[in-house]
Amino acid sequence: MAKLWPFLALLALALLLPLTGNEYWALIATRACIYWVLVAGLNLIVGFAGQLAIGYVALLAIGAYTASVLTAGTVMEPLPAFAALGIAAAAGAVAGVIVGLPALRLRTFYFAMTTLGFATIVTQITLAWQDVTGGGIGIPGPSLPAPMDTAWGFYYFCLGVAVVCTWATANLARSRFGRALVAIRDSEVAAEASGIAKPKLLAMVFLLAGALAAFAGGLFATLQTYITPDAFTFDLSLLFFIAVLIGGRGSILGPLLGTILLTLLPEVAAPLAAWSTFLYAALLLVIVLAIPGGIAALLDRSGRRALPEDRAIRPREAGLRTLIGERGERAVLSLKGIVLAFGGVRAIDGIDLDLRQGEVHGLIGPNGSGKTTTLNVISGYYRPQEGGMTLAGAELPAGRPAGRAGRGIARTFQTPRMIGEATVLENVMIGATVEGRAGFVEALLSLPRQRAEERAMADRARLALDAVGLGGLAEARADRLQHSELRFMEIARALMLRPEFLMLDEPAAGLSVEEIKRLGSLIRAISRQGVGVLLVEHHADLIFDICDRVTVLNLGRVLAAGTPAEIRVHKEVVSAYLGA
Amino acid sequence: MPITRRGLGLAAAATGLAMPAIAQNEPIKIGWLAAMTGPSSAPAIGFNRGVMYAAEAINAAGGVKGRKVEIITRDTQGDPTKAVNATQEMISQLRVHAIWGPTNSGESLAVTAIMARAKMPNIHPCVVDSLIDPAKYPNAFRIAPSNTQWDDAVRGYTLNIAKAKKVAVIGDTTGYGVTAANASAAAFQKDGAEVVTKANIDATQPDMTPDMLRARNAGAQAIVIWSVSTGMIARLLNTRAAMGWDVPFIGHPSLASGEIGTLIDKPANWEKVYAIGYKSCSYDASGKLPPRNEELMQRMQGKVNLHDTLLWWVACGIDAVELVAKAVEATGATANQSIIGHWNSLKQYPGYFGEYSFTAQDHNGYPVSDVVMSAASTGKNGTFALAPGYG
Amino acid sequence: MLASILASGLAVGAVYALIGITYNTMFSTSRVMSFTAGQLGMLGGVLGSLFILRLGLPMPVGLLATLACCALLGVVTEVVAVRPVLKSLDQHLYVLSTLAVALLIQHATALEWSTEPQPFPRLAGIGTGVWDEKYWLPVVACAATILGLEYLYRYTLVGRAFVAIAEDNFAARALGLPERNLRMASYALAGAVGALAGFAGGQLLLAFFANGPLLNFYGFIPVALGGLGNNRGAVIGGLLLGLFQQAANFMVGGIFSSVAVFTLFIIVLLARPQGMFGAPAARRV
Repeated sequence: MAKLWPFLALLALALLLPLTGNEYWALIATRACIYWVLVAGLNLIVGFAGQLAIGYVALLAIGAYTASVLTAGTVMEPLPAFAALGIAAAAGAVAGVIVGLPALRLRTFYFAMTTLGFATIVTQITLAWQDVTGGGIGIPGPSLPAPMDTAWGFYYFCLGVAVVCTWATANLARSRFGRALVAIRDSEVAAEASGIAKPKLLAMVFLLAGALAAFAGGLFATLQTYITPDAFTFDLSLLFFIAVLIGGRGSILGPLLGTILLTLLPEVAAPLAAWSTFLYAALLLVIVLAIPGGIAALLDRSGRRALPEDRAIRPREAGLRTLIGERGERAVLSLKGIVLAFGGVRAIDGIDLDLRQGEVHGLIGPNGSGKTTTLNVISGYYRPQEGGMTLAGAELPAGRPAGRAGRGIARTFQTPRMIGEATVLENVMIGATVEGRAGFVEALLSLPRQRAEERAMADRARLALDAVGLGGLAEARADRLQHSELRFMEIARALMLRPEFLMLDEPAAGLSVEEIKRLGSLIRAISRQGVGVLLVEHHADLIFDICDRVTVLNLGRVLAAGTPAEIRVHKEVVSAYLGA
Repeated sequence: MPITRRGLGLAAAATGLAMPAIAQNEPIKIGWLAAMTGPSSAPAIGFNRGVMYAAEAINAAGGVKGRKVEIITRDTQGDPTKAVNATQEMISQLRVHAIWGPTNSGESLAVTAIMARAKMPNIHPCVVDSLIDPAKYPNAFRIAPSNTQWDDAVRGYTLNIAKAKKVAVIGDTTGYGVTAANASAAAFQKDGAEVVTKANIDATQPDMTPDMLRARNAGAQAIVIWSVSTGMIARLLNTRAAMGWDVPFIGHPSLASGEIGTLIDKPANWEKVYAIGYKSCSYDASGKLPPRNEELMQRMQGKVNLHDTLLWWVACGIDAVELVAKAVEATGATANQSIIGHWNSLKQYPGYFGEYSFTAQDHNGYPVSDVVMSAASTGKNGTFALAPGYG
Repeated sequence: MLASILASGLAVGAVYALIGITYNTMFSTSRVMSFTAGQLGMLGGVLGSLFILRLGLPMPVGLLATLACCALLGVVTEVVAVRPVLKSLDQHLYVLSTLAVALLIQHATALEWSTEPQPFPRLAGIGTGVWDEKYWLPVVACAATILGLEYLYRYTLVGRAFVAIAEDNFAARALGLPERNLRMASYALAGAVGALAGFAGGQLLLAFFANGPLLNFYGFIPVALGGLGNNRGAVIGGLLLGLFQQAANFMVGGIFSSVAVFTLFIIVLLARPQGMFGAPAARRV
């Protein structure tokens, strides 16, 4: 846990602060803690899941007003401060989901604008609902009971909350949920193929972030002693958003430092108050242009360590048995009369196909013959207009990519889909997301079952990396790998699922002759463990070397099907495609 | 042993001498929470001219019992969050002796409790009624009218002098505009007038014709305005002229803001507009201010620019600094209790902006009778002519 | 009353539509949604007032100077905030870089110009009542812009190159089109369109530094409604938005009209994420 020391150093500084005896610093530090409680949650949304929620001040306002209204007793008997804070967090959780829901349907900028819209709506409602919120006159914030009613007492309380938030969100970030969020951000398609259900996952994160933001809002109201709608400015919203991004995506420490920096900066630069927002903006621009990775990238030295130059991919097929086990009964995945048209073009025009476990099934054909399209139909990205699919006799529903991993169907992609900023190990671990049993809360609190599961997953991922020959690169950042290594990494990720069927989309593209040989042998070995492999390839040699069956497509139809030996001498195939 | 004793004696003597010496030379630190930049900065800029003028004048005359006045300004930009930070900084870090400001209610609401906790002597000109409560905030004093006083003045003029019984109340969509319009409408109804429309208009709405038509169709005899948005006020005035309607506009001091003069289509559109003003800063038929302020104007000539601000802001800024200085002069101390105690004993203290009286039970120091309506378009060096109808 | 709601609704709608076109023009060559769109509109008003009222330039000169300044600013935006982040478009850094530039523009204006709305000159002095020039000028400007752009895209070489880049960036580059120059040109064009929006709507919106974020938002709604990159959709969306907003202002008052606008916007967007006239999302795998 070498990465723990910056957090401990910050905590030590924070604990020493009361020695100054200066309540002004207590106020500023408390403010930083409260902002961090919000930013910690927002970080999961913006930094991890990549959803551009700009208007998060709306949730701060909801929390602040809920807590204040409940303790002020404008609608009902006044509640104790902690009950009010709890209800505020619950209200924030609900609001967080409502604010976040558009993210499931809308792209980046659109989503950003809807969050701004929500921020406006919340402000207007606080203004108009004068009986409850006090309108423009505002309402006093909750006051906490002793010993939290002094500046330092409240500071310790907020510091404690901030520490818990840091710990919990860091736990989450290092769990399968954190990896899944990053996968959604950087490679939604790969996330789906690994069985990550975006709506459910995002809903949970929005719930958490909303609760944290609203809780922070309640603390904010206490700190301010009195809130009016004009305290919840767009500038404050920007501060939260920018803190995450100058901190760096996918980091906990970076946004934490970003929050502290942005809270302190205006205080240090008080004489420049008139120019403060201007300087903020300039700082933001410089950071985006000069260090797009943010503070986290500056701090991350391991990412710059050189990888060995003369490395080679040496799969160790022996490990496959422990990794994916043996399969007894051999099942069949079969396609019947699949038709898929894009507009007027029939990309697939009535294809039948049977994939058997334990066999390598080659799918070849000229460009545009429907190979990859067929693969996408099987993995649920396309919904065919006609025809059906069965898996081991049961119907395989069309058009549900995220459901495939749960059925044991794994795949790789023509262009490798990876998370560049994560390590190779983490990339591979994503493949086993569906197997996780420990829940969201267990991950947050890092409970024993969660920790055990994490260890098991990491062990299996190392096994998978060893099997495909990337054992030495487990800790390297994925974006530093060579193209050929990424192809093997994708296979390792797919193997994490212990798949029943594995579909490989041109895995040999861009590989050297030697690497193709090793790939062929690896694929063969995988199939011998009882996995059904569908291999879409252009390299005819590889196909004929390792396939048990070959289907040739042309113009969306099956031109020929049979053993490699039969295909090799098939007249039409030879004249149309093999060109021999 | 004798050496030690002498040493001790010397040390005691030294401390005994040093204590008052430090107190005597230490400047009187006045924290000044000013929204100097940002969208509602005009008042603070005006107040600031008075503050700086007063501080320089006092220091040029040798200070208060030899102690200089030091003004420590923090720009809050109208943001309550920044105001809270700056207030705590003034209390704990800069250790000021008194705080003047903030100058708008949103900020003041946020910092009042914090100042009360530190028992920090505080004077401010913010209008929201709940800001002054000697029981809860024994440290806070107001040297400007409260919202109720403003409201009373506007309502009194509308009902008694303009003789309007049907009024349209219009505010903008800011916190202040919404609250003030609601309070005003309720008070009109209580006094038996008919509020024919009450509207909160988005200040950026490009065309006010529908709202004005609605008011006219409802039979409004006066339009009561609660907004600081000069753009919105100018649009309303232009619309009134385009409709050929001569209904009077009565309300918020911003109606008289110089900005409006540049935004209206023609000068005539600014006639029959009556803004809240103050006796002390209004000139009579012969163009003269009350003598005390006539003399102040002479003194400030060439030193303080009054062309783009209002005299009452400047005068109020001067009064604030002098109130602190006088308290230190009278009690010889800068302790919280002595300043607050002195203010609590003030009876008809002659300031430039008004005559202030405070007691331990009442911290609204501004005399109601000094709040008058002025003719909005008559601005001259930050002063105005009284609206027609005053004795 | 209806006439006045229609007049002001169409007028602000035309301004929103022009800002929408500004977004689209920048997006077409760079795939970037820029937060500077609204600021360009704001500057159209401020610079117009500066050149004509403060510096006393004749109206046509003032208009040209305003358009030129904003076009230049468009190019600067491209160089400073767009080009450096294009290579990592999927990281959405453009949201930050253009936001930063937009804030710089807004705060520089606040500090150097004024934080109070300033007057904007009457331009032609034609019309009164609902036929006042302040209502029809934005509509005329919007019509002229859309016709001009149609002509540009259909009948000129540069315009067709724009379209080619917008449709398939890689293919266009492969054909040897000067992609970078075209992108700069499109940002200059967007700057001029944004400035025209602010200039034509100057008498309505005044020369006010805070108009930027407002136009940013209300200018984006037509884009979202009309479909990204669809100028005709933006015009229809803009006019509808203007009418809806002004009607809501009158019916439910200033506070709830913005709530109504934003709620409707979010609902429409959720129902049709690609906009009313946009094509469904492209294939992903």
